[in-house]
Amino acid sequence: MNFLNVFSKEMTEQWRTYRLLIVMAVMAVFGLASPLLAKLTPEILKSMPGLPPGLADAIPVPTIADAVSQYVKNMSQFGILLALLLSMGSVAQEKERGTATMMLTHPVSRLNFLLSKFFALAVTFLISLSMAALGCWYYTLLLFKAMPWDSFLAMNGLMLLAFLVYVAVSIFCSTLANSQGAAAGLAFGALVVIAGVGALPRIGEYFPGQLFNWGASLMLGTSTTAWPALWVSIGVIIVALLGAWQILNRQEL
Amino acid sequence: MSQIQEYLPFLIPVLIIQLVLMISALVDLIRRPSVRGPKWAWALVILFVNLIGPIIYFVMGRKEE
Repeated sequence: MNFLNVFSKEMTEQWRTYRLLIVMAVMAVFGLASPLLAKLTPEILKSMPGLPPGLADAIPVPTIADAVSQYVKNMSQFGILLALLLSMGSVAQEKERGTATMMLTHPVSRLNFLLSKFFALAVTFLISLSMAALGCWYYTLLLFKAMPWDSFLAMNGLMLLAFLVYVAVSIFCSTLANSQGAAAGLAFGALVVIAGVGALPRIGEYFPGQLFNWGASLMLGTSTTAWPALWVSIGVIIVALLGAWQILNRQEL
Repeated sequence: MSQIQEYLPFLIPVLIIQLVLMISALVDLIRRPSVRGPKWAWALVILFVNLIGPIIYFVMGRKEE
């Protein structure tokens, strides 16, 4: 069996377990909710009883920039969480159930086994993020005005890359661990480390979190770029997958 | 009436998401030989808890095969 066979088996599994559908729906709802929240938050504040006079006028009128930052914030939180939840069981679960052994008795290389999982998750996120982007774009059009589609597309591409870093790292953790619980623990540990170190000044510039800032700045017209973070992210994905492959090669299944 | 028309463009995407989730959850519930807890309870959750109901069913209701 070559890569495409295993990949299509993984995609079928994403579909049959309803993972694709759930992630699509959740992301689409957050995509829709982001511009809506940006629009409604000042209204809700204004309608609060007991607001000191004069403050209502001081609350700024929401703009397209608020919609974008709300979207980036929601996606960075829930997208990363979903990336982790979906990927952390990928290898560990198959090892626990023994289906990994069944799979690997076929002439499937262990590298293809891992790559098929990574790319199936990548496609799931590509589709789901597209739904979110479509929802956000549509509601922003209704509530504010049309967003420039080229920078919006570029922003979503950067976000997808950031999600894939977490997918690859979680697959690595999942390969390292022998049970799903341990895989979850490791993956959340990795998330905390990446988020913590990424928040430091200087070093943070090399971390995938910077991709969200870059994306937002594309939309807001400021010229922050994060090329180091981009290269580091691609590097981390490759290293995590190759590392997982080396570990899987040494494991008795 | 004019209010409904004003909100209609906002409601359509949400309605589509809700319908797709609800129908696929119900189809899965009917086809599955057994689920965690009684089937009629899940049917109520799927039908009446908007958006979250079907997702809760997918995540918690199905038994591991």
